[in-house]
Amino acid sequence: MNKILEVKNLHKSFGRLEVLKGINLEIFQGETIVIIGPSGGGKSTFLRCINHLEDYQSGEIIFLGKKIDKHTSNLNEIRTKIGMVFQHFNLFPHMSVLENLILAPTKVKKISKEEAVQKAKVILERVGLIEKINAYPDNLSGGQKQRVAIARALMMEPVLMLFDEPTSALDPELVGEVLEVMKDLAKSGMTMIVVTHEMGFAKEVADRIIFIDKGVVAEEGSPEEIMKNPKNERTKSFLRHIL
Amino acid sequence: MEAISVVITNLPFLLLGAWDTLKLTFFSVLIGLVLGTFIGMGRLSKIKVINIPSTVYVEFLRGTPLLVQISIVYFGLPQLGIQLQAYPAAIVALGLNSGAYIAEIVRAGIQSIPKGQYEAARSLGLTHWQAMRYIILPQAFKNILPALGNEFITLTKDSSLASVIGVTELMRRGQFVITRTFQTFSIYFGIALIYFVMTFTISRIVRYVEKRMAVA
Ligand SMILES: Nc1ncnc2c1ncn2[C@@H]1O[C@H](COP(=O)(O)OP(=O)(O)O)[C@@H](O)[C@H]1O
Ligand SMILES: [Mg+2]
Repeated sequence: MNKILEVKNLHKSFGRLEVLKGINLEIFQGETIVIIGPSGGGKSTFLRCINHLEDYQSGEIIFLGKKIDKHTSNLNEIRTKIGMVFQHFNLFPHMSVLENLILAPTKVKKISKEEAVQKAKVILERVGLIEKINAYPDNLSGGQKQRVAIARALMMEPVLMLFDEPTSALDPELVGEVLEVMKDLAKSGMTMIVVTHEMGFAKEVADRIIFIDKGVVAEEGSPEEIMKNPKNERTKSFLRHIL
Repeated sequence: MEAISVVITNLPFLLLGAWDTLKLTFFSVLIGLVLGTFIGMGRLSKIKVINIPSTVYVEFLRGTPLLVQISIVYFGLPQLGIQLQAYPAAIVALGLNSGAYIAEIVRAGIQSIPKGQYEAARSLGLTHWQAMRYIILPQAFKNILPALGNEFITLTKDSSLASVIGVTELMRRGQFVITRTFQTFSIYFGIALIYFVMTFTISRIVRYVEKRMAVA
């Protein structure tokens, strides 16, 4: 199997605060990894280091065989291959759904507008939002916004998708529609790293669950192992809290 | 009665000056906008060779009198071999000056946009410039429109200082009329009214555009 991403001994500090204290991770093509852990444990920071929205102090991040660090010259090209979905959607409010989708393909990948629009239609169909193609983000529900955000990331044909608590800002009744899209994506063979506390989702599609606490991987295993008999005390008490 | 009629007889002459005032202001704001946009972004740059000069620029131009700045450009620069006519000199000085104020407005505008917007743009592979151009600045400008309108109005009034270097804008033309007629009060008051009509109109236009943009 193809190794998509390898993280070795990653250390990251904000000033004097060390947030990541030696994280290791490997992910192969088609895998879905779910990251769980208490708030402030460094989950978001970890994802943001992967596509270099944050720089890091030491360790290595190797994506498709190439190092990602502050010396990486084709960072923008690499980022097109790593889709990111944020907790608060971060859709561009001054652009319609269609414009949100075609901006990066036309400006970064320089594909023609016609081609981008065609593609946008296919992807919106896939996330069930084709009828919202001309809507503006402000007129969408949270669940719809997040599905558009996923569609926007998919437009770049990423090799890896990062999700940072994609459903935690949603009203409970809107969580399901977003998880459905993510499950579809996982089952279609997308390689994904998902920070979430939706354990039903994890059980269904995760190949591995990783428990990040206080900047380290405190436990790692299959959904069964982690959920049925976690070895680590902290994992246990954390799961008791969220389940 | 004579006081009023002297204003009316000289109105066409004064209105030509008002037209010059508007043109002067317009071109200065144009320079100020371009300059201010770049310097405003520069103020937020993490790169020291961009950030420090931008900050020095803003602080210096906001911390010195416009009259002195106009004098430097018109009377001072020729000593360095750069000779400008009064009118272009006034545009340059006013443009450089408003650039500093607009830079601060633009900086605040950029900071008013949630960080997630920039990050989403970068995560899609857009460069810093593309993120600024397509995502941050369009939203920022929408937010700072009222402040930019204010700057336009301030500059309309401040452009009267160009009279000291002989630009025949409204103020200067008023002074011509006064030397001819000695009607100091009514002419100055008439000029004040013309300035007021201009600034009031501008503020209405800005408010209108603002409303239109709020709908879009
Ligand atoms: N930009 C930042 N500057 C300073 N500290 C930060 C920054 N981002 C995150 N942190 C800190 O890093 C720690 C980990 O945060 P985060 O990665 O967001 O955790 P999680 O996503 O697991 O809740 C927290 O203590 C947080 O306050
Ligand atoms: Mg987080």
